[in-house]
Amino acid sequence: MSRASGTSLRAAGAALGAVLFLAAAAMGQTASTPPAGAANSKHVAWDGNRTLPVHLLPLRDENDEPIIPTETDPLPYSARFTCGPCHDYDTIKGGWHFGAMTAKTSGRPGEPWLQVDPKTGTILPLSYRKWPGLYDPRAVGLTAWDFTRLFGRNLPGGGPAEPSDEEALAEPDARWSVSGKAEVNCLACHNRSGRQDHSEWAKQVLRENLRWAATAAAGLGEVGGMASRLKETWDVTDGPNLDDHEWAVAPSVMYKTTDFDSKHRYFFDLNYQPADDRCLVCHSVAPKDAAHWSADRDVHSAAGLKCTDCHRGDIKHLMLRGYESEAVETGNPAAAAFTCRGCHLGEDANGDRTVTPGRLGAPVPKHTGIPLVHFKRLACTVCHSGPKPREGFTRVRTSRANRLGIYGVATWSTDTPAIIEPVYAKDESLKIAPQRLVWPAFWARRTGKSVAPIEPAEVEAAAGDVLKPEEHIAQILIGLSQVTAEDEMPVLASGRFVFAPNVDGGLDAAESAEAKAGVPALWAIRKNGQLTPLVPDFDPAAADKDPAIETRFQDYLQALGTTAGKPGEPVIVVRKTLYRYADGFLNASEAPAGLAGAAGAGWLVQDKFEPLVPDFDIRTMTATAGTEQTLTEEQVSLILGALAKGAAKETFVYISGGRLFQLDKKGRLTARPNDAAAPVTWPLAHNVRPAQQALGWNGCPDCHSGGSDFFFDTIKGAGPLLTKSGAKRSAASFMGLGGLFQRVFGLSFIVRPVFKIVLGICAVVAGALLFLAGLVALGRVAGFMEKR
Amino acid sequence: MLFTILTVLGLAATFLGLAFHRFWTTRPEARTTLIYADVVRMFFAWLALRTVQMARRASPRAWWAYIKGLPLWREPVLEKWLFICFYGSFLYLAASGFFFGIFIPRGLFGYPLVAHVMAGGLFAVCLTIVVLFKGRDFIAVPKPASLSLSILDPRKMGITRARVKLWAFWLFAAAGVLLILSALLPMLPLLRTPGQRFMLEFHRYSALVSLVAATVFAALALFESAVKQPG
Repeated sequence: MSRASGTSLRAAGAALGAVLFLAAAAMGQTASTPPAGAANSKHVAWDGNRTLPVHLLPLRDENDEPIIPTETDPLPYSARFTCGPCHDYDTIKGGWHFGAMTAKTSGRPGEPWLQVDPKTGTILPLSYRKWPGLYDPRAVGLTAWDFTRLFGRNLPGGGPAEPSDEEALAEPDARWSVSGKAEVNCLACHNRSGRQDHSEWAKQVLRENLRWAATAAAGLGEVGGMASRLKETWDVTDGPNLDDHEWAVAPSVMYKTTDFDSKHRYFFDLNYQPADDRCLVCHSVAPKDAAHWSADRDVHSAAGLKCTDCHRGDIKHLMLRGYESEAVETGNPAAAAFTCRGCHLGEDANGDRTVTPGRLGAPVPKHTGIPLVHFKRLACTVCHSGPKPREGFTRVRTSRANRLGIYGVATWSTDTPAIIEPVYAKDESLKIAPQRLVWPAFWARRTGKSVAPIEPAEVEAAAGDVLKPEEHIAQILIGLSQVTAEDEMPVLASGRFVFAPNVDGGLDAAESAEAKAGVPALWAIRKNGQLTPLVPDFDPAAADKDPAIETRFQDYLQALGTTAGKPGEPVIVVRKTLYRYADGFLNASEAPAGLAGAAGAGWLVQDKFEPLVPDFDIRTMTATAGTEQTLTEEQVSLILGALAKGAAKETFVYISGGRLFQLDKKGRLTARPNDAAAPVTWPLAHNVRPAQQALGWNGCPDCHSGGSDFFFDTIKGAGPLLTKSGAKRSAASFMGLGGLFQRVFGLSFIVRPVFKIVLGICAVVAGALLFLAGLVALGRVAGFMEKR
Repeated sequence: MLFTILTVLGLAATFLGLAFHRFWTTRPEARTTLIYADVVRMFFAWLALRTVQMARRASPRAWWAYIKGLPLWREPVLEKWLFICFYGSFLYLAASGFFFGIFIPRGLFGYPLVAHVMAGGLFAVCLTIVVLFKGRDFIAVPKPASLSLSILDPRKMGITRARVKLWAFWLFAAAGVLLILSALLPMLPLLRTPGQRFMLEFHRYSALVSLVAATVFAALALFESAVKQPG
């Protein structure tokens, strides 16, 4: 070998070594990458000590001015300027909980924001993330202001609640200048203090006190006033509203001065890892109507783990969500270690053992006797998470959809939207996983195959009185209640129900033994549970008539006369006598011929008798009473007709219960399947049940039997519309599996024990004979046995 | 992937081995001294010719006539049905198992899987009966071996067609028992995930061995009857 060639070889070797060294260094770096990216210059680097520094901090307001709590009308504290000096605010703003509007990737589908409007029958699934079946709020006409007002109660600040100044100015109807912006509320998650009050946050958001909400919710001070009542010209620099000290009171904060030191520094009692109850404020899920004591915790919580032990994040606040494809999607290999498979089996999404298992003592599951196909086709959560499958599924309520966890005099929580679980459906990795499900319901414009939701306000405007049966009846009853005794309640009995006014201005419907189906509706007075007709039948001409009756008539007519939007003069007709109220007196006269056949209380409209409320209202209320539905097919037909009248060239539809409802050419309501009517699902992961409660613990028939709920339960389309045309789907259809095959396969498990015994006998007999034959052959080869 | 490669190689080797056996035993040159290159050349020429001839003769009618001519139909009723079930179940098991195992990444699933399990039960019962009542016909009668280097000489091992057939039978029976065991054990609450994974692979390779053994046995038996028939 020449010297030159030797030199070039050494050079090539050195270059190769350098490349390998750099590659190794790069790999090493990758392996030690923190969960969500690199640190930034502003972030305080961890020195390795596991304690948290005491956060005794001077508060700063949104103008970056120090807050002196004893000053008059101090501003609320600003997280941007109080926390920001050490923790880069703009980096945090891009976190999972705040960055939905700007995120480049959407990740695995999560729970949508559900815009619920009972009056128009709207349950519209929304998200700024691009998840299947959901609508972008911007596409359905919701501005960031609208979104914040609708869902701010469960927003941790930031995102749509904190638009840039340009964005805020671009929303002419918004009131950002009055309310301020809801900055990222660090304390919503990191506050360890028991004073942190989500209900207070929700209340302040409802009052449009956005810039004050974090201060009030954390208990830093007491916030009074309501920005929602102030004129849009009011500005925070204006201070108190001198024109009104009772109604339109400007928001203000009174700090708890005892919590400040002499240098006006406030002690924040913080957690580095947020406590579980901070997460559960917005992420609680519980079976509807379940008793509090019966609710179990997730096994991980019971074992002492916190939510953030798995759902970790760094200053970027891109929390690990824990699903298998997250590592690939986010380009963060560390995510593979925080999935069920990563922690318990040491496997990545492909099943390769690339992860060190047993983090925080995660046990290795035995899975004895479970065929491999289950691990290929099913997510771990199928057997281990959520409630067990049962007939009719489990109806649950979630914090965000059903407004749980907001406490006060009023009841905030709702039963609608109806969310059920566990529905087993294929996820993005084509594995079957348990999901929560909700059926969308909304009014929409249809253009070809595409369906574009329209805002509830537009529907309400077009519908007019069609959506007001409850309002109409309640108005009459509330009016009458002004003149009845304390122990009396005006009611309407119709069908099997008795309707009584409630404190919210609506109606409560109660089933009554006295009310019978098929009997005409009756306006009545309820006293001690007994119903007495509002207008009893008596002879007005009789000399011995009860004078108290006519006194009551006077009161009733007087009360009805105050009804807003009354169609005519209130009257009462008894037999052929017409009672009217005029000039402070009851006037009884013979009913004109035009009122022949009329009876009871009503309106005199152009010399004709009209009932107190139209039959349509009573019919509608009676049909929907005692159900969760709020609309009838008749209402939907009328509203679709009204919408079409306003825009003849457009096609309007209503979606509910898994069907698209539309008027045909003859004006009849038709129902048909449509992609837009398909249920929206999102995977569930918690609560994880203990192993003994996992599916399969009792053997294969937990799922594989002729009629198991796992495969054969039926899901009926649910929605605000009372209809028999709703969709119906089997549980197996969500898995993309044939129901007939699963039934045949399930039935085969009846004979499996016999099958196993037969196979066992065959194996023993044939094996014994083979053994014998082998012995014979061996014996002959060895010469122990003679040839025959 | 490894299973697919081994299956293809195993079946190709079996086919070529059997074809060569048939080619060689019908050649007058068999007892002469030929160089190997000539043998290979002549074999492949013969194989190509046979392939063309058989392709020309193959038709549904010819196949049906061939099947009708099988000695199976002339067996007593019990044996006839035993072998129909035995052969039928084995053919379905092999066809479904290897087709899905090689061509479908997901493996066996759905109705073919249910039928595979049912055919497996039938095959297990038939195999046990065959070994119990027919195994005695396949007991080899080897001479007592002597301790000398000659036992390693292939020419003195006495590898005859009849003996290969016997070994093929017992190999098939042994693979069958392993197939039964590797199907039964995963159904019992005994094996964890690695055990299940091992048993699945074990089942596949046992099936490959049983298929090779069955092919050898059937080819030799059919060749035997084909040779006897003209006489």
